Amino acid sequence: MMTSSLINSFTSSIATLAPDAAGHAAHAEPGAIAAGPNWVLLIPFLPFAAFTLNALYAAFGVKSKLPAWTTVATLAGSFLATLAMFMNFDGTPYTVQAFEWFNLHYGDKSFVANFSFYIDTLTIYWMLFVTGLATLIALYASEYMSHDVGQGYNRFFAAFALFVVSMACLVMGDNLLMLYLGWEGVGLCSYLLIGYFYKKPSAVAAAKKAFIVNRIGDLGLALGVYLTFVHFGTVQYAELFSNETLQSYIAAASHGDFGSIPGEAQWIALLLMIGAFGKSAQFPLYVWLPDAMEGPTPVSALIHAATMVTAGIYLIARMYPVFIVSENALPIVAWIGTITAFLAATIGMAQFDIKRIMAYSTVSQLGYMFAGLGFLTPTGGAYHVLTHAFFKALLFLCCGAVMHGFAGQLDLRKLSGLWKVPGWRIVSIGMLIGCINLAGVPFTAGYFSKDTILAEAFVTPGYAFLGWVLLLTAGMTAYYTFRVFFRVFVGPVEYHPGDELHDHDHDHGHGEEHHHDAGQHGDHHANHFHPHAPGWAINTVLIILTGCSILATGLYFVGGDKDAHTKHYADTMVSESSASYHSHYGTHAFEYYEKDPEHYPEPGHGPRGSIDKALSMPITGGDPHKMMYYISGVIGFVGILLAALLHGPKGLGGLFLGARTNASECKMDAIAKRFGPIPRWAENKWYVDELYHAIFVKPLRIISHVFHWVDKLLVDGIVNVFGFLPRVFAWIIRPSQSGVLQGYAVSMAGGLAIILFVVLVIVARAGGAS
Amino acid sequence: MSLDVWSLIVLIFFPALVGILIGFVKNDDNAYRIALATTIALCVPAVALLANFDFSHGGMTQFEHSIPWVPGLGLEFSIGMDSVSLLLILLSVLLGPIVVLASKTAITKDRKMYYAWLTVLQGAMVGVFAAQDLLLFYICFEFTLLPMFILIRKYGSTNRIAASTKFFLYTFTGSMMTLAGLMYVVWFVAQDSQLGRWTLDIAALTHYAGNMTLTEQGWVLAAMLAGFAVKVPLFPVHTWLPLAHTEAPTAGSVILAGVLLKLGTYGFYRFAVPLAPEAFFEYAPLIAILAIIGIIYAGLICWVQDDIKKLVAYSSVSHLGFCILGLTALNVTGFSGSILYMLSHGFSTGGLFLMIGFMYERYHTRDMNTVGGLASKMPVWATFMVFFAMASVGLPGLNGFPSELLCLISAFQSDAAWNAAGEPGAWGASLGPWFAVFAGTGMVIAAMYLLYMVGKICFGAYKEPADYHPHDELPTDLNTREIITLTPLAIGCVLFGLQPTMLLDAISEPVNNTVRIVEQANGIDSQATLSSHYSTGGGLMSSDQVEQLDEISLRHAENPGTEAHVEDLAEIGDSMKSADQSDHDHGGDSHD
Repeated sequence: MMTSSLINSFTSSIATLAPDAAGHAAHAEPGAIAAGPNWVLLIPFLPFAAFTLNALYAAFGVKSKLPAWTTVATLAGSFLATLAMFMNFDGTPYTVQAFEWFNLHYGDKSFVANFSFYIDTLTIYWMLFVTGLATLIALYASEYMSHDVGQGYNRFFAAFALFVVSMACLVMGDNLLMLYLGWEGVGLCSYLLIGYFYKKPSAVAAAKKAFIVNRIGDLGLALGVYLTFVHFGTVQYAELFSNETLQSYIAAASHGDFGSIPGEAQWIALLLMIGAFGKSAQFPLYVWLPDAMEGPTPVSALIHAATMVTAGIYLIARMYPVFIVSENALPIVAWIGTITAFLAATIGMAQFDIKRIMAYSTVSQLGYMFAGLGFLTPTGGAYHVLTHAFFKALLFLCCGAVMHGFAGQLDLRKLSGLWKVPGWRIVSIGMLIGCINLAGVPFTAGYFSKDTILAEAFVTPGYAFLGWVLLLTAGMTAYYTFRVFFRVFVGPVEYHPGDELHDHDHDHGHGEEHHHDAGQHGDHHANHFHPHAPGWAINTVLIILTGCSILATGLYFVGGDKDAHTKHYADTMVSESSASYHSHYGTHAFEYYEKDPEHYPEPGHGPRGSIDKALSMPITGGDPHKMMYYISGVIGFVGILLAALLHGPKGLGGLFLGARTNASECKMDAIAKRFGPIPRWAENKWYVDELYHAIFVKPLRIISHVFHWVDKLLVDGIVNVFGFLPRVFAWIIRPSQSGVLQGYAVSMAGGLAIILFVVLVIVARAGGAS
Repeated sequence: MSLDVWSLIVLIFFPALVGILIGFVKNDDNAYRIALATTIALCVPAVALLANFDFSHGGMTQFEHSIPWVPGLGLEFSIGMDSVSLLLILLSVLLGPIVVLASKTAITKDRKMYYAWLTVLQGAMVGVFAAQDLLLFYICFEFTLLPMFILIRKYGSTNRIAASTKFFLYTFTGSMMTLAGLMYVVWFVAQDSQLGRWTLDIAALTHYAGNMTLTEQGWVLAAMLAGFAVKVPLFPVHTWLPLAHTEAPTAGSVILAGVLLKLGTYGFYRFAVPLAPEAFFEYAPLIAILAIIGIIYAGLICWVQDDIKKLVAYSSVSHLGFCILGLTALNVTGFSGSILYMLSHGFSTGGLFLMIGFMYERYHTRDMNTVGGLASKMPVWATFMVFFAMASVGLPGLNGFPSELLCLISAFQSDAAWNAAGEPGAWGASLGPWFAVFAGTGMVIAAMYLLYMVGKICFGAYKEPADYHPHDELPTDLNTREIITLTPLAIGCVLFGLQPTMLLDAISEPVNNTVRIVEQANGIDSQATLSSHYSTGGGLMSSDQVEQLDEISLRHAENPGTEAHVEDLAEIGDSMKSADQSDHDHGGDSHD
C-alpha cells in the first residue's frame, strides 16, 4: 500500500505537468500540453530587442547612456511580463511556441525540440528573480560603467541583454535542447563579460578558463541530453515526465529497487550532474568562478552570484524525476555539494581581496544548495537560491561600489572604517544586511533557507556526517563574512586607492576631476586621493536590494498551501513543479510522521535506507527542523564573535572586542603565524589551480606538441617517402631530365589505377570464389 | 529539355566558357568585374532550380537529362539532382561571388589567370554534384584538382610549390584508387549482374552493386576510401590539407573548406555506402575510430599552433571527423547530421578563412606571436572573428551545433543495447556510447583551440609586426566590401542554427532511402531492430511487446542467423536480395 501511495503522490504531481497522463498510464500524446498566451514570449523577446538595439548602437558608435536606458527599460518590461505571468498562472503548466527548431523524422518517430517555452511554477519562480535582479543590476551598471560611455558601454549592455535572453531560454525552454541553448548562451555572455577588459591578459585568461572549464561540464550535459533522447525518445519535459518507462523506474526507485532500472537510464543523471557541477562551480570544476571576478562587478553580481551559477540547481530540480531513479546521482550531489561548501569556505577565510572572498562564498553557498538537492529537498536548494540571489547580489554590488569609489581597491588590509566616510552609509548598511544574511543571523532570510537544508541533512538517512560538516562550514561562513565587514566598514578611517587611478587616466575621467575639489572628504589619505561616493543609480539599487534582502525573510511565512502540505512560497513553487518530491522519505517525512503516525506505518523504507533514527537529531535529540534553529543560530554567532575578536577594532562600549587600530594589522596576524604555512596554502587556494595545471594542462600541452611533431615527421614523413619514389624511379631511368618529374608522378599514379583495378579483380574475385 | 535542365547546364558549363573569355581580356580590373558578374549571375539559375525543385520528392532525381555518347559502352552524359545534391550545388554557387569579392585586393599579380581559374572551378564543382553517371562525376571530380592546383601554386604564399605538389599528387593518387574501385563495380555490374550490359549510371550501379560478395565489397570499399578519405581528409591521410590550406590564397582556402573537402564526404555518402553497404556496415566502427582519432588528434594539434591559418586548417580535419562519424552510424540521424555538417561547415570555417585573409592583407603575417590584440584596432573584424569562432565551437543557435548534435546522437543510437527507444531507422552500425563520449571530447578541444586563437589574435595587448605599415587601399578595420563578403556567411550561420528543420525536411527522403539500402543489404528490418532492442536492452516490456518478441524469436528459430552476427546478417541480406532479384525477373547467380 505504501507503493501505491508513493506512485499516487508522484503521479498527482506529474498530473499537473501533463494533464492527460494522470492516473491511467496511457500513451502520452506529444504536444498534449495546453498552449499558453503568446505575450509570454515578451519575456525573452524584450531583452533580445535590447540586444539588437545595443548591437546597432555599437555599430553606429552611439556615445551616450542610451544603451543603458534601453536595457533597463526592456528588462523592466520583461520583469513586468514575468510578474503578469505569475499573477495569471492557474496551476496548470502550459507551453508557448516561438518557432519550430528541430524536427527530424525517422521511422514513425521524430526528434522534436522546438523553440518554445514551458511555464510552470519552477519556471516562474526562477524567472521572477532573474528578470527582477537583471533590471536592478542594469540600472546599477548604467552608473558603474559610465567611464566607458562611447567605448565599451554599448558592447557591455549588448552582452548583458543577450545574457538575459539566454537565461530565459535556459529556464523557460520546454525541452532539454532549449536548456542547452541557454546554457551555452549564458556561457558565451559570461565569456564576453569576464573578458570585457580585453586588453588585460588576466581578464582574457579568466574568460578563456571559464568557458573551457564550463565546456567540460557542458560535454557531460550534452551527452546526458542525447542519452535522454536515445533512452526515453524525447527531450521535451512534458513528454518526458509522463513517459511510462520513467514512471516505472520511479516506482522501482521508491522501493530502493535500483537493480531493475537499466544502467543507461541511471547514467543520464550522472552525466547531467557533470554539467551542473561545471556551470554552478562545484568541486572539481569550481576553479573558474573566482577568476571570473576579473569581469566588471555588476557582471559578477548578476551572472557569477545570483543567476547563471544557479543554473545547475535549476537543472537538477527540473530533472528531479530522472535524478531520483539513479542510485548514485543524488548521493554524489550531496557529497560534492558538502565538499565544495567546506573547501571554498576554507579558502574564503584566507583571502584578502573582498571580491574574491565573496566569490568563494558564492561557491560555498552553491555547495549548500547542491547538498540540499542531494538531501532530497529541492525546496531547500531552490529556497536558498532565491535568498542567496538577493543578499549575494547586494554584497557584490556593495563591493563594486567600494571598488568603483576607491579606484579599484579591494584589499581589506587597505580599507577601514568606511561607515564613517561621508557618502558611504548606504553602502555600509547594505553590506551589513548582506553579511547578516550570509552569516545566517537568526530571523534573516539566509538563516531560514540555510536551516532548511541543514535540517534535511539529519532527516534524510545517511547524511548526518555531512550535516555536521555543513554546520561547521556555517560557522566559518559567519567568520569570513564578518571579517570583511569588521575590517572594511568599521574601525579607524583609513583607505588607500587602488592602481586604477594611475593607468586609467582617460578612462576614469572622474578620477582626475576629484583632484581639484579637495577638502571636504577628510585627511585620511595619501597623495590627495578622494573616494568617489556612489551616485543616485547605485544608491537606489542598493536601497532596493537591501529592502528585498530584509523582506525576503517574510517569504518564509507566506505563500504556503495547506492542501498541498507546503509551508511557504518557495516550497509551494517548487513542490508544484517537476521538482516535487512528496514522499514518505522526502522533504516532509518528519511532518507526516508527527501529524499522522497511523498512516505512516513503514517509516523504515526509503531508497536511502532507514529513516527511523533520522527522526531525531543526533547528539542533541529532537526534531531536526526545530533543533536547527538553535544550533545554527549559535554557530553563526560564534563565527561573528570570532571575527569581531580577531578583526574588529576596540570601542563602541565594548561591542567590538578587537584591538585593531589601523587598516593593515589585526589580532589574527599573530594567530595566523601559529598555524605555520597553512594560512598561506589556503590563501593560495590549496594550490588546486597549480595542481590542475600540472596534471591536466601541461601533460595535454606536451601530448599536443608530440602529436604535432608526429604529424610533421612520421605521418607526413611516410607520405613524403612515397612521394619520393617517382623521383627515384625517374632518376634511375633518365637522370638528366629532372624538369618533368611531376609528369612521371602523374603517369605513375595514372598507371596505378589500371594496376589496382587488375589487382582488385584478381584479389576480390579470388576471395569471392572461396 | 526543360528550362530547369538548361539552368543546370548553364551552371556547369557557362563558368568554363567565361573562364576562357577572361583569359582573353586585356584589363585585369575587367577580369575581376567579369568574374564577379558571372558568379552573381549564376545565382539566378541556382535560385530557379531551388524554386522549381519538388522537395516533397526530395529523394527522386529531378531535372534529369542524359545524352548518350557511346551507348555500347554505357558512356553517356547524364545530369540531375536529388535534394542533397541540390543543396550542395547551392552552397558551391553561393560561395562564388564571396570568394571573388574577397580576392579584390588580395591578388595583385596576374589577376586575369586567377579569376579565369576561379570561375572555371565553379562549374566543375557543380558538375560533381549534378553528375548522374560515373563518367561525368569522375571527370568533374578530377577536374576540380587542376584549378585549385594552379590557384595554390601561382597565388599561394611562401611554401606554395611544395603545398601544391603534395595536394595534387596526394589527392590524385587517392582518386586513382577510387577510380579502380569504381571501375570494378562497373565491370562487376556489366559482367555478373543481370543487367548484362555496360552502364555508368549511378542509380543502376547502386541497384546492382549490392550483389557483390562481402569480400568484393570490402576491396571495393578500400579502393574507394583511399580516394575519398584523402579528400575528406580522414586521419592518417590528412597531411596534405594543413599545408594546402595554409599556403592557398584566401579564396582557395574558402573553396577548399567549403566545397572541395565535401567532395570526399559526398563520395562516402553517394558511393561508398550504397555501393558497398555490407562492407561499410562491417567496417563502419573502424572508420569511426579513425574519425574520432582525427577529431582528438587534429584538435590537439590546433591547440599548439602559432600559425593562425594552420590552426584553422587542422580544425577542418577535426570537424570533418564528426561528419564521418555521422556517416558511419548508418542511421537516419547520422546521415542527416553528416549532410548538415557538409552544408554548414563551409560557412563557419569559410568565414574564419576570410577573416584570416583580411587580417593577412593588412599585416602580412599569420604568426599569432607577431600580431595580436586586434580588437582595439579592428573592432568590427574582431566581432566577426569571435562570431565565426563561436559558430565553429558549436554554440547552439549557430550552424555547428545541429549537425554536431545529430552526429553524436547517431553514435549513441547505433548501439542497440543503449537505444531503448529503438525504432526503424534509428539502429545502424555498432558504434555505441563510447564513440559518442570520445567524439564528444572534440567539443571541449574545439573550445580550447578556438578560444586560444581568439584570445591571442583578438584580445590582449595590441601587437603588430616590426615592419608594419598601413595598407595602401584598405582601411584599418574592415571596409564595406569585406563586410558584404562576410554577411551572407554570418546569416547562413544563424539560419542553419535556428532553422535546421528546413534542411532536415529537405534531405529527409534521400537519407531514408540510403538507410533503407543499408538496412536491406544487412538484413536489418524493423522487426530485427525491435528484437535486438528487446533482447539486449533490458527495458521494460509490455505484454504486447513480449508477444511480439516471442513471435520474432519463433521466426528466428526457423531462420537461424538473425543473431547480430554480421556474416549471418549478410547471408540474410543476400537471401533477401535473391528474392528481390527474382521479383525483377532475374536469375539468382549473383555470387558464389
